[in-house]
Amino acid sequence: MLELVQRPVVDDVFDEFFADPTTPRPNYVRLAETLGAVETETLVHGVRAINAALLRRGVTFTVYAESSGTERIFPFDPIPRIFSHREWRRISAGVEQRVRALNAFLRDVYHEGRILREGRVPRELVHSSDLFVREMVGVRVPNDVYIHVSGIDLIRDAQGTPLVLEDNVRTPSGISYVLENRDVLKRTFPRLFDGYRIEPVDDYPLRLLRTLREAAPHGTREPNVVVLTPGVYNSAYYEHTVLARTMGVPLAEGRDLIVVDNCVFLKTTGGLERVDVIYRRIDDDFMDPLYFRADSALGIIGFMNAYRAGNVGLANAIGTGIADDKALYRFVPSMIRFYLSEEPLLENVETLDCSDTVTRRHVSEHLDELVVKRTNGSGGHGMLIGPASSGAERADFARQIEAAPRSYIAQPVIQLSSHPTLIDGRLAPRRIDLRPFALYGKRIDVPPAALTRVALRNGSLVVNSSQGGGSKDTWVLAAEDDDA
Amino acid sequence: MLSRHAESFFWLSRNVERAETVARVLDVTNTRAMDLHAGGTWAQRSWRTALMIGTLGAAPAAALADATAANVLERCVFDRDNPSSICSSIAIARTNAIGLRAELSSEVWEHINQLYLDVQDQAGRVGERGPSRFLRIVRDRCQAIAGVSDATLPHVDGWNFMQLGRFVERASLAARILATAASFDDPWPEWQRLLEMCCASFPFARAATQLQSPPDAAAFILFNPTFPRSVNFCANQIDAALHRLSQTPERAYTDVAEKLAGRLSAAVTFADAADIITDGLHPFVRAVLTGLDALVGSIQNVYFPRVPVAVALNRSEAVAG
Repeated sequence: MLELVQRPVVDDVFDEFFADPTTPRPNYVRLAETLGAVETETLVHGVRAINAALLRRGVTFTVYAESSGTERIFPFDPIPRIFSHREWRRISAGVEQRVRALNAFLRDVYHEGRILREGRVPRELVHSSDLFVREMVGVRVPNDVYIHVSGIDLIRDAQGTPLVLEDNVRTPSGISYVLENRDVLKRTFPRLFDGYRIEPVDDYPLRLLRTLREAAPHGTREPNVVVLTPGVYNSAYYEHTVLARTMGVPLAEGRDLIVVDNCVFLKTTGGLERVDVIYRRIDDDFMDPLYFRADSALGIIGFMNAYRAGNVGLANAIGTGIADDKALYRFVPSMIRFYLSEEPLLENVETLDCSDTVTRRHVSEHLDELVVKRTNGSGGHGMLIGPASSGAERADFARQIEAAPRSYIAQPVIQLSSHPTLIDGRLAPRRIDLRPFALYGKRIDVPPAALTRVALRNGSLVVNSSQGGGSKDTWVLAAEDDDA
Repeated sequence: MLSRHAESFFWLSRNVERAETVARVLDVTNTRAMDLHAGGTWAQRSWRTALMIGTLGAAPAAALADATAANVLERCVFDRDNPSSICSSIAIARTNAIGLRAELSSEVWEHINQLYLDVQDQAGRVGERGPSRFLRIVRDRCQAIAGVSDATLPHVDGWNFMQLGRFVERASLAARILATAASFDDPWPEWQRLLEMCCASFPFARAATQLQSPPDAAAFILFNPTFPRSVNFCANQIDAALHRLSQTPERAYTDVAEKLAGRLSAAVTFADAADIITDGLHPFVRAVLTGLDALVGSIQNVYFPRVPVAVALNRSEAVAG
């Protein structure tokens, strides 16, 4: 039998499962009972079967750092993470608010620039960013929506308050694991679902398709949607195939598309076929070799002309990266106040701006207690976790910050909340985060389909799949089951 | 459908068919060779035959001279430098399947992926029990892939391109198998072996009304209209798939692919054993292979024309034939 007693790691860590060392939180009472009656062997064997099935099904991502593009599965942990309906509503309202403000910010910086004029966001910070795309200035996009799909990463502080760790408004991935995890958990451990009523996740593709159709240029009757992938070697290729398949739209590569007379077409066995909306999973830089990186073979020659002419919709819009530039992160609360005249529902993590001389000195002197991130980094790369770093690493980062202050921010180490996780046949607390996804067509939709990532290494705070992370099924309880 | 996807469907099923047939050829050779003096002339000749089929005629002279069981199995099962080895074929099929992930049923994809993973596991060894078991598994799994494709994919574009790949490959391997026969004067057991390689041993025995003769065996493999591995049967299937794709009425021929398929079909419909005795087996079989090559070229031109060089560089891996 599983030992369900809480084993706290650090005092100031919020435990998602236990209210105190022996009492599960209300959402988890039923699960604790079920787990208490399950043989450990059953769980361990089940997980082994799941991992084998994931490999057979090719639910894998590619690890770039290793030679020959090794295929790995994203390890799955069978202990689900559970949100009460009420708490989920609070979180999704916060996510919606944030996405609305970030979208308004994009609309603004690519047109009037009011927020810059009024000095609420420093103009030089925007204009010095690699992620600000001048080609988008003055370009109108359908419905003024830029951020059709976003993933907002949340963590919990010691009190359990959700904080936004970062916004991902370019091409966030992970939704395929949400769909896969639910499916696999239902098949392997149906008993865990006893006594729960859970919001389904499998209508996500339909909601995404609706969002994408709304991204079509005005007046398009039956929009033709395609998913654009960089190809089979991309780490998220599996996800691209799932989305295309479940939405029932073609999965195209750049070489399958061609621009003729400023319109985008698919090369099919029946000739050229007009495309109205592209859900692209390629970075801005690679979208059109005529405008951006000339060496890109992934994009579509002439795409930007078609896009700027308003002949094709694109999700997400070109140039959204400026909204999740880490140097601008600390201004998001001001954006919310400025554009929406509302107080932020979700708080930020305290962030220090290294471009300020005084702050920079403070950061350099306290590197051992801070987390330093490159403003254009992602995937857990280009990051220093002070308390876990060596003197040499800190010295190296100090030099880098001095050389390019605009490129770094620093944050205090936040102890991510912990959740019981099956490790070597026993439950052990491991750190987790949460990535809810927001869809923005004509209005913002936050489906109850969020990804929980878990740092499988003991004490680790890094949940990224490329760095030893795994994932959990994430449940949002139906409204009437709410007991929290 | 996307031209790239059409092309991937074509090569996917072509390579599955190839792996299946090469596995059968090797298995037949292996069991037959046991009856002969190991290393004797006939044994060596049958391994040489297997090597020619398993490399699509591309084996270097040195390898042909040294065609032992171990060498041929290595080259035709595991050697990734031989593009038509079983491992290569399965890997190519899988690469194409990966590009088709959004188009395939999960059943088809999982069967292909599992076969690939299992073959990888085997890498370099066929086990102590000899190659038979392994070859059997490959054959069964390839047939399962074909069956699951038929049973789960809508019989529209993608499936039609799979039909094309499957029957083009099957016809060309049948022709290659026949091409390895030295002449109609070979002893009957040699011909029996070729029939087995084409899965035709029992169907032929049943269909042959008189004593079995080498020309009858060759004619069966080439011309029989109902045996699903005969060149005639394959040509008719290719013709039908092309007509379904272009939606041209039967007996009407609009594009060059249809015309070449029609011509091939006519060549194996309106000929019989007497013709291959008169014309000679090898010229006839060579004409079939040339006809198939031209047909594949025309399918490519009609349905997946080559893209400009700059883009083609990027695609060579994904759709390598």
